[in-house]
Amino acid sequence: MTSRAVVVANELGLHARAAARFVQLATRFQSQIRVGRDTKMMDGKSILGILLLAAAQGTTLTITADGPDEEPAIEALVRLVEAGFAEPTDALGRGESWNV
Amino acid sequence: MERLKGIGVSGGLAVGPALVAIQRTQVIRFPVAPRRVGRELAALEQACGRSREQLRQIRDRIAQLKGKDLAAIFDAQLLLLDDPLLVGRAAAIIRDERVNAEWAVQRALDEVAEVFNDLADPYLRERKGDLQDVAGRLRLNLRGEKGGARDLLRDLDAPCVLVADELVPSVVAQLDWDLIRGFATDAGSRTYHTAILARSLGVAAVVGLRDISGRVPPGASVLIDGDTGEVVIDPEPALCREAETRGRLARAQQPQPQPAQAPARTHDGVAVSLHANIERSDDVAAALGSGAEGIGLYRSEFLLAGAPPDVAGEDEQYEEYRQVAEQMAPRPVTIRTFDVDERQLAHPLVDAALDARWFPQGERPGRAGLRGIRFGLAHPPIFKTQLRALLRAAAHGSLRILFPFVSSVQDVRGAKTLLAEARAELAARGVCYGTAAVGVMVEIPSAAFTASTLAREADFFTIGTNDLIQYTLAVDRTDERVSDRYEPLHPAVLRLIRQVRRGAVRCGIPVSVCGEMASDPVLLPLLVGCGLTEFSMTPGALPMARRVIEDTRAADMARIAARVLTLGTVDEIEQYLLDTFGRYTVYDGAHS
Repeated sequence: MTSRAVVVANELGLHARAAARFVQLATRFQSQIRVGRDTKMMDGKSILGILLLAAAQGTTLTITADGPDEEPAIEALVRLVEAGFAEPTDALGRGESWNV
Repeated sequence: MERLKGIGVSGGLAVGPALVAIQRTQVIRFPVAPRRVGRELAALEQACGRSREQLRQIRDRIAQLKGKDLAAIFDAQLLLLDDPLLVGRAAAIIRDERVNAEWAVQRALDEVAEVFNDLADPYLRERKGDLQDVAGRLRLNLRGEKGGARDLLRDLDAPCVLVADELVPSVVAQLDWDLIRGFATDAGSRTYHTAILARSLGVAAVVGLRDISGRVPPGASVLIDGDTGEVVIDPEPALCREAETRGRLARAQQPQPQPAQAPARTHDGVAVSLHANIERSDDVAAALGSGAEGIGLYRSEFLLAGAPPDVAGEDEQYEEYRQVAEQMAPRPVTIRTFDVDERQLAHPLVDAALDARWFPQGERPGRAGLRGIRFGLAHPPIFKTQLRALLRAAAHGSLRILFPFVSSVQDVRGAKTLLAEARAELAARGVCYGTAAVGVMVEIPSAAFTASTLAREADFFTIGTNDLIQYTLAVDRTDERVSDRYEPLHPAVLRLIRQVRRGAVRCGIPVSVCGEMASDPVLLPLLVGCGLTEFSMTPGALPMARRVIEDTRAADMARIAARVLTLGTVDEIEQYLLDTFGRYTVYDGAHS
């Protein structure tokens, strides 16, 4: 099992579009993936679970992976969060619908 | 052994393992036997697959027609569909609590929705709408799957007794009463109606037991004594044996159901046509299997599977309508044009952003808003696409076009103008098309009151009782505070129905009744007594309707209906029916 802490960097936090990107990436790995915030622990392959973490900018998340590809999984997911889910850091697009 | 005391409304003794059904809004909760768990799980998986397929199709079409941004909504819904917190949780509920899949999906949705409500972020809270959409789609698809709640209730393999919170006539009509030997309910209201039902079915019944549906574990042995109003949970073996013997004697006198071949006739020889309500071409087999003489109502909006109506192309619609017309030929098929906002039937709209595309001022569709023919007239391109598809399909069978939510002669003329345009467009393209009769759905009081003038504009009438009752009595059935005022036996409703029939007869056009009233074994004979001879209902209810018709004497019912129309209140009417049915024994064939 591998575990890493990461701080949510983008301004909008882990909102719907970001959560969708996270889940799409997580489901590419075989390992079981969990995402924790404070005492809450959610399935990293569940968009509902990620949304329900309601992680705003600056929140520290713990990503845990357990399985044959846990190392690359953690690596990729941490990179995604640190990169602000590869989206501009301004508030553009927030009013839009889901954009996956 | 535990004894409960209620009100016996239909005599006789029945004993057997309990089938527990709990109705909640429109979802039937149904504890399943351990060996059926696998079937419910399979049904959930199939519904999931079907939903995924629909969402992908809608996404692709929307991407093509309206751009990628809007299509992304459906990508997100696809993710939700695969989310372990929704479907995964529903599967766990099926396994752990042994309930039917439809109920499990509702439960899983409720759990997640509750957490969503607590979120501070309004943007996230709004995503609940997508979640409800996905769950709604799943439930809709579950109903179509084998193993859905309705199938399970019908598909019994051994005698049993039914324990329920309440029994709705439209559900009653679909149950297998040869195997269900009696029933007991929590509810004590509508006692007369339930009594008439139970007696007509020839089963023992006790009502007003308050909490029996929560007290009896599914499968527990239950004895129902309809004479004393007593219900025994886990009765002693001696008591069971006595009940079984007495029950067998009583049942031996019941008439056997006739095979559904020739058209149904009342006991005194009046021919009655029984048609099926369906939602998609896949339902045709079920309709034919139940002995339907035609399709009385095809609800075309199910073709949209929750997408906006301009997404359904002409060719795609034509294919679907043609299949129904061909499979049913030479029997008539009545297709209702899109009634997209009828919430109890159609899937709710997917997203406010999409609504805005076809509700120009961003108006949300309302029950009495822009729906049915009003929507068609306001959006000629969408409406004419459907009309062209219908006209083309009409070349392959006996097809009739039905306009919903008509409130005036003006509506019908407007719709017929667009129909003529659609015909001209097909002719200009050199495409083959057929002729179709044009009918009016009478479901708004203004249409019912002016039936005699409307009849001059139409080839046939279909009375939609569900909406007609709601609008006549000004009762929103979804509002729990007034839903008990929804009363098919209200004198105003019966008078209106009689008036519509008269208007139709005067102009020599046929009139049929669809809606829950037609499948209610108590109300059906009364409608026959009002002179109606054509009915359309869900295929599962057809065998029972046939039995009821064959045991009814139209002449007696005409007298009874005439008397009913002079009575002032629903209570008086029900009491009168109960007394009269006791005297005439209308249903049990005792006349011969």
